[in-house]
Amino acid sequence: MIKLTGITKSFGRNQVLKGIDLHVNKGEVVVILGPSGSGKTTLLRCINYLERPSDGQIVIGDSIVDCKRAGKQDILQLRRKSAMVFQQYNLFKHKTALENVMEGLVIVQKRPKEEARERSVQVLEKVGLGSKLDAYPSELSGGQQQRVGIARALALEPEVILFDEPTSALDPELVGEVLEVIRKIAKEGITMIVVTHEMGFARDVSNHVVFMDGGVIVEEGTPQEIFSSPKEERTKQFLKRITPEWSYTI
Amino acid sequence: MKLDVSFLLDVFPLLLSALPTTLLITAVSVSVGFVIGVVIASIRIYRVPYLYPIAVSYVTFIRGTPMLTHLFLIYFGLPLLVDGLASFAGLSFRAASIPLIWFAFISFSIMAGAYMSEVVRSGLLAVNRGQTEAAYAIGMNTWQALRRIVFPQAFATSLPILSNSVIGMLHGSTLAFTVSVVDINAKAQIVATTNWKFFEAYIAAAIIFWGLTIAIERITGHIEKRINRYNRGGVA
Repeated sequence: MIKLTGITKSFGRNQVLKGIDLHVNKGEVVVILGPSGSGKTTLLRCINYLERPSDGQIVIGDSIVDCKRAGKQDILQLRRKSAMVFQQYNLFKHKTALENVMEGLVIVQKRPKEEARERSVQVLEKVGLGSKLDAYPSELSGGQQQRVGIARALALEPEVILFDEPTSALDPELVGEVLEVIRKIAKEGITMIVVTHEMGFARDVSNHVVFMDGGVIVEEGTPQEIFSSPKEERTKQFLKRITPEWSYTI
Repeated sequence: MKLDVSFLLDVFPLLLSALPTTLLITAVSVSVGFVIGVVIASIRIYRVPYLYPIAVSYVTFIRGTPMLTHLFLIYFGLPLLVDGLASFAGLSFRAASIPLIWFAFISFSIMAGAYMSEVVRSGLLAVNRGQTEAAYAIGMNTWQALRRIVFPQAFATSLPILSNSVIGMLHGSTLAFTVSVVDINAKAQIVATTNWKFFEAYIAAAIIFWGLTIAIERITGHIEKRINRYNRGGVA
């Protein structure tokens, strides 16, 4: 379970997050939508402290962190209970696909190498890269790299996986294979928070949709509620602009 | 004047007897300098409080003064310090018993540290911020992220310039003769004083240095190829 309470974040005088409350139940897939500059990526990065929130409280599982007083150990706890998939993949470029996935298991979780290898191979097979274990990131396509990124996160068995626009840097042709993998692991009941612009994906896969604008949550609800009968004017405006007419469903 | 080829050939084995000294000075200064360089570069990049200004002054002072001056500063200054400390602590140790080569080790290491810190720093800066973020995101602490992710990539990036530092140090080590350490170059001078065939002696010295440099180039080239295996696909 993840609970954010009153999260604020300012860069200098610019307040990017103006008090965000968000509750994510175990096994839920939450999609965060919003125009660029709405603070959705910043919010995601605050959860694992890649950005330090100015104020608020973060709860992941049994870790409760008060952002004003967060120490090194608190931050490490949050990071060890979460994992992240990046827009730019950020695979360790001097390590092979297998080593990328093993790294966290061996170095952070201190699991024995053999066990870590077995687990990593298994996860890489799940994302369809069983034949690319020894390939370096530079030898993989964008879609393959992102699937390794997903495997790296998945292998750690975190309480939550944070996806930061996982398909935005991909060739249109490769988006499908990555979404397919995310869809597959969503069905396994892994808690996920996904920032994305893929509306179809948001509609099909998520249990809960959050629409952000200007550093606040404008509206949230089930995909049905948000996509078919949005209440707020701003949400309607956004959906109209981002969803092509022909893909409206009744 | 005629080139005395047979003397030139005879000189080689004599000069090679000083090879261990040259190699030792180079190896010690480069190794110690590299460690100093990594520490200084990390202090500067992470802006460690208190240490940061010290690191910056160290680099500008050392880079702002000639290598030969450092050597003399250490040669004349260190004994005063050592003797002062020894008598203060009531020890019988005297600076006169320090082997001369140690002055070269110390001053050259300090110098190499300052220059190499900039090489290492450029390597560290070249590592994409996303690499560190990914390391943090899987739960690594700062030290694990540095050791496992950042340093290996920074090292690979700085390798070509590091080889430059090693070559520079090899050639710089000839200055040790000013504190009476007999390296290859000093040996050439000594050998030639017997018959005044300085030109032949220095040609021999030059050839040896060139050979050593080629060896260093070959070795780093080889290491580079191995380390940079992951880059074979081009940009990632």
